[in-house]
Amino acid sequence: MTDPSSGVAAAMRRTLASWLSAPEADSRRASLPTVMLFLAPALLVYAALTAYPVLRTFYNSFFNVADLASSEFVGWAHYAEVFKDRTFWAAVRNTAAWSVIGPILDVVVGLLLALCLYAGVPFSRFLRVAWFTPVLLSYVVVGIMWVWIYNYDWGVVNGMLRAMGLESWAQAWLGDPRFALGSLIVTHAWKWAGFNMVVCLAALHSLPSEVLEAAELDNCGWWHKLTDIIVPMLWPTLLNLYILAFIGKMKVFDLVWIMTEGGPVWSTETVSTYVYKRAFNWNTFDLGYPSAIAVVWFFVVVGFVVFFNLLFRRRERMEY
Amino acid sequence: MTSASTTLKPPAAVDHREPLTAALSRMLRNGGLMAAVVLYTLYSALPFLWIGTMSVRTTSEISANHFAWPETFHWEKFRIAWVDSNFAQYFWNSSLIVVSAVAIVTLLGAAAAHCLARYNFRGNRLVYFILFSSIVFPPQIILISLFQVLVEYELYNSRLGLMIVYVSLQLPLTVYLLEGFFARIPQDLFDAAKMDGYSDFEIFWRIVLPVGMPAIATTIILNFIQLWNEFLFAVVLLSDQGSRTLPIGIRAYMGDYFQDIGMIATGMMIAVIPVVVLYAFFSEKLIQGMTAGAVK
Amino acid sequence: MAAVHLENIFKRYKGTAQPAVDDVSLSVQDGEFMVLLGPSGCGKSTTLRMIAGLEAISEGSLAIDTRKVNEVPAKDRDIAMVFQSYALYPHMTVADNLSFGLRRRRVDSQQIAARVKSAAGILGLNELLARKPAALSGGQRQRVALGRAIVREPKVFLFDEPLSNLDAALRVNTRNELVRLHRRLGATMIYVTHDQVEAMTMGQRICVMNKGKVAQVGKPLEVYRAPADAFVARFLGNPPMNILKACIVQGPSSAVAALGGSELPLARWARAALPPAGELLVGVRPEELQLHEVREGGGTLRGVVSAIEPLGAETLLMVSLEGDAGDVMARLHRDVKSSIGDRVGLTIPDEALYLFDAFTEKAIPAADVGAP
Repeated sequence: MTDPSSGVAAAMRRTLASWLSAPEADSRRASLPTVMLFLAPALLVYAALTAYPVLRTFYNSFFNVADLASSEFVGWAHYAEVFKDRTFWAAVRNTAAWSVIGPILDVVVGLLLALCLYAGVPFSRFLRVAWFTPVLLSYVVVGIMWVWIYNYDWGVVNGMLRAMGLESWAQAWLGDPRFALGSLIVTHAWKWAGFNMVVCLAALHSLPSEVLEAAELDNCGWWHKLTDIIVPMLWPTLLNLYILAFIGKMKVFDLVWIMTEGGPVWSTETVSTYVYKRAFNWNTFDLGYPSAIAVVWFFVVVGFVVFFNLLFRRRERMEY
Repeated sequence: MTSASTTLKPPAAVDHREPLTAALSRMLRNGGLMAAVVLYTLYSALPFLWIGTMSVRTTSEISANHFAWPETFHWEKFRIAWVDSNFAQYFWNSSLIVVSAVAIVTLLGAAAAHCLARYNFRGNRLVYFILFSSIVFPPQIILISLFQVLVEYELYNSRLGLMIVYVSLQLPLTVYLLEGFFARIPQDLFDAAKMDGYSDFEIFWRIVLPVGMPAIATTIILNFIQLWNEFLFAVVLLSDQGSRTLPIGIRAYMGDYFQDIGMIATGMMIAVIPVVVLYAFFSEKLIQGMTAGAVK
Repeated sequence: MAAVHLENIFKRYKGTAQPAVDDVSLSVQDGEFMVLLGPSGCGKSTTLRMIAGLEAISEGSLAIDTRKVNEVPAKDRDIAMVFQSYALYPHMTVADNLSFGLRRRRVDSQQIAARVKSAAGILGLNELLARKPAALSGGQRQRVALGRAIVREPKVFLFDEPLSNLDAALRVNTRNELVRLHRRLGATMIYVTHDQVEAMTMGQRICVMNKGKVAQVGKPLEVYRAPADAFVARFLGNPPMNILKACIVQGPSSAVAALGGSELPLARWARAALPPAGELLVGVRPEELQLHEVREGGGTLRGVVSAIEPLGAETLLMVSLEGDAGDVMARLHRDVKSSIGDRVGLTIPDEALYLFDAFTEKAIPAADVGAP
């Protein structure tokens, strides 16, 4: 077994080399002006509105950007402050908890729903629509909906609990720091379960039916078919969904902003909401500090993506 | 019938080999499954239904009983929301910005995707990676500087500015989806067109776009839905009340009139209807597009 | 080991009027290698899957080992199946693939190890036990699929066109291995294929199916020599039997079949068995035709050579018969010299002539041949 670090570095070197190598001459060559004309508009937009802003944020993070005209060089001061910032760490904790737990909920529920449809429950076309619609709704709509659902006095959740005689379980779901984050996680999962369901369903349909029939002949009941055959064969897709969900939740802003704005008492503060607040809501108008936070978070997210990719690439591909 | 058959005993009289308990547990499992399905469907659809009913009831009716079915359908609330509460303005802003952005990003993205998919050149994969990798960037990394940039170029608080930003936001996804599809178009089609004398641009316009229409349609729908619902950048880059997009408008309404639940519900329904209509017509394409690349 | 008994089996699909499997009755004896042969769409795979329990039986009864199993779920029928695509579990090693079914059935681990070892030994899989299917060649995967069936020690083995994904050379080898395996295990095996060579070489009895119905059941050579109808006659044999339309002409002592200027004597057939007048189908296998110079006389066909295929070991000659009677293919010795455009004569030896009814296509047996 080769040393992992050299394996990674070598893999990266190889990839870069293959990207930059000159291609063989064949009918797929086009003149440089042609290529540039096709690519230029998109690259221009990218450069101006994505690449440049990223670099500028990096630049900002070393300054106190009080207003747009003046800025004062502070070096690494912002970064030092970030690591001492308790609100930042609270936000990181919340975001991390959300990003790790949320996707599990998303993927498991998505898989279960897909299995229901795959197993052939009646009205499957209607169910697919009903289960998928939340994905299409704007976070504003979803947020307001669930703010009302969680309402202490007349919301659906407490209403149902009271109707079942469980008055003592009724809570201020969004007002109580203990429950706010969990409530948001549930809402977010509500919106996204349908997406995971659709992906899992497509993956289930792509499984070779003969393998499932062979399992049937091998005395597999539905439980064992699920655990021994379906889940292992679906594992790459499930992992992919987890990673997608993880990245999505690392970036979450809209839902939190609509429902709790990071409160109560920072129990739902995420890195995104914190950056927004420091940049646009705080009394101390300084764009440099939130830029530093953004840069730190950028490296965290990208780091995770790279990490997952390496982890993923090492697993064997299943051919069938 | 058969020629050389062995003598067989006639089949046993009872042909149901499974005992009663197995049949019972099977029924229970099926019943349990149906119950779970019904429960989840309610969980998924009821909130939407609730908003729907509230959107046609007046706020006073709602305060009286939050969960009742509307006695009279106050359809005029839609008109009121549209006209009096500025939702018409917000709807118009959203439509303008989103439609233009989608049109532009589709064109730009298709051109870039075609080039990356079809032509081999040094650095092809590098460019693809650069364009595609920005999907993972957290929005905060460009949020603050975009704000600065737009202010400096006097595009802050303008619908044009937001529209350009929207184009850049959706470019990676568009390029990713279209590149995958375009790469699968057989090279023979291009070779034949080349021999027929078409130039590279004519090939793109006359062959790639029509042939790639399914994928392009999918990206248009996906981009439309994502941008129609977009919130963060709209909040930061637009402050003028007149330029608000629909999501901002609803949020502001919620902030200003948070007691007027009925009107908010109506506003939400207005925001949701275009998306639902799109979905009703294009659900297959939409799902295909969303799952592309996610199934491994 | 057990016998399999199908009685009046039907398979109907919603929306199609014609049943996919139409009143099939078949008895497979204990330890027999039975081949279900037929073109694609004839219902042979559907029949096999009904025996396996992977498809529901619309009508009729299926018994394995004298027990009626219509309602018995597939896993309880004590059968093993080798799929066309092998259906190996891609995420498990070969060893796990082999032992999976046994583990599911709570066989104790010692037994499992013993059976896996024995199957691996028979099939030469010992070095491959730790590999995953993706790392195996087609032939190796096929053997693992076989091994998975063998370890189960089932009552009946079912094969669904297992050789069709192998290349030609491998196919021949594996065919022989399967025959040897059958001899060694003495198990009841039901084998589905569309390849008549496989059927002829492997089956102890073959069941030819067409459009959902059983056309004929019997030993391979018997079915070859005495086909029950024109379909079976054409299906077995390569190149296929030449079947031509002829007219019955009643002669003084016996009838003759008039075919493009020639007359074929039908003395072997009882007059009563033949239709009095009208059309008839005559058949002759390519290898029975004898080539000679054009000459007059009964029992010879005259025509012009339209194609020659010298194959090295033999020569195939395509002859266009005069009078627009049709084309025949003759299989001749390799030294035959002929050119396109030559006028030639072909003789059909008396015993080599087959007759089929023009409408039902059923064979009309000669008087000296017993009824099939």
